[in-house]
Amino acid sequence: MPASALIAEQSEIIRKGMVHLLEGSGLFAIIRETPCQASLFENLKKYKPDVLFVNPALIDSGFQEKLKSNPEIKIRLAALVYSLFDENTLRHFDEVIQINDTRAKILRKLNNLLKERTREETQPDQSLTVREIDVLRLLVQGMSSKEISSALFISTHTVMTHRKNITQKLNIKSVAGLTVYAMLNGFISIEELE
Amino acid sequence: MADLVASDPRSMVLVTRFGIDLGFGDQPIKRICQEKGIQTDFFLLMVNIFLNPLYFPDKKLKNVDVKLLLTYLVNSHEYYTREKIPLIQSLFSTFLARMDHPAKVQLERFFNEYIEEVIEHIEYEEKVAFPYIKELVSGEINPKINGKDKEYGISVFEERHTNIEDKLSDLKNLLIKYFPPSSDRFLRIRIINELFDLEQDLANHARLEDQILIPVVEQLEKQLNS
Repeated sequence: MPASALIAEQSEIIRKGMVHLLEGSGLFAIIRETPCQASLFENLKKYKPDVLFVNPALIDSGFQEKLKSNPEIKIRLAALVYSLFDENTLRHFDEVIQINDTRAKILRKLNNLLKERTREETQPDQSLTVREIDVLRLLVQGMSSKEISSALFISTHTVMTHRKNITQKLNIKSVAGLTVYAMLNGFISIEELE
Repeated sequence: MADLVASDPRSMVLVTRFGIDLGFGDQPIKRICQEKGIQTDFFLLMVNIFLNPLYFPDKKLKNVDVKLLLTYLVNSHEYYTREKIPLIQSLFSTFLARMDHPAKVQLERFFNEYIEEVIEHIEYEEKVAFPYIKELVSGEINPKINGKDKEYGISVFEERHTNIEDKLSDLKNLLIKYFPPSSDRFLRIRIINELFDLEQDLANHARLEDQILIPVVEQLEKQLNS
């Protein structure tokens, strides 16, 4: 998947400049921008960018804590620095981009930011495990998590974990949608559904 | 106005929902708004929210014309039910008719259920939520005096406001990823394109409701309750 970026910065010049640089780098397919911090966290949750380019002044300690308590948001933080910031503030960032950096230097930093990501992506396994298929089959036959747990002799908690993984792997959330998926892949026949 | 539409085709549906028809010539936004009795500030607020997902109105909510907003929302419902949904339905039924797969029945059922849900959601808004808001605005209900209305409030509306999006995205993913390749590739592309378009439009619609309608009505409820 191509990388996506969110740029949070009040200064129009800096923001548009960053957009331009990122576009020119060819590393980012989706680039979004926002001038305000009000809905920053919601936007992170919604768009799940790979990298957040942000003016450190827009980030407070509450933001850092929110990030920690939402481990599903995996972003890398890049600071856009054009005024003086305390070293301690900048320590939280994966990369610091300075206003006087050369183009080559910025490109190097962008590559660094995305390096880990490509490593993680080399072994994606999106196919369902045998157990997940078992759960899926029962689920689309209309069983509740509790019924599935007693049918398969596993805890409801485990059933929930399987369900979450199924949805995440397939990117299909509704039971009706999962039913179509199961049919298409021959995991279940029409007779079993009736 | 012409510049706005030319710069972003999404603004076409937005503008027509305000009762502004294409063919407005070179008139500036301000004049067109005046003619139609629309506050320019409010119009621009809507444009910004609609076209820029990251835009968040801060304190400008005082310019909101709730009645006009409701008209706008009803007009967009009409666009979904009279134009968009029938179009997707007809494309989809052609697609299904040419398909030979045991999963066909399930897919058809899933699709029909989804459409029913959207229509049900629209009817709910028009029959329950919008009339409530209208009465609230015109002062016919006062939550403090009319005890019977106390149970209903905008917070109920807010809760009912998800999961349609989930199903639409499921449908899209099924067509993109999991349907076996078929000879109908162009038809399939058209359907997926239409689904993307509807998805985006519905998301904008929901954002207008969440970011303008609900906060404004909440303010009103609070004023009336205090």
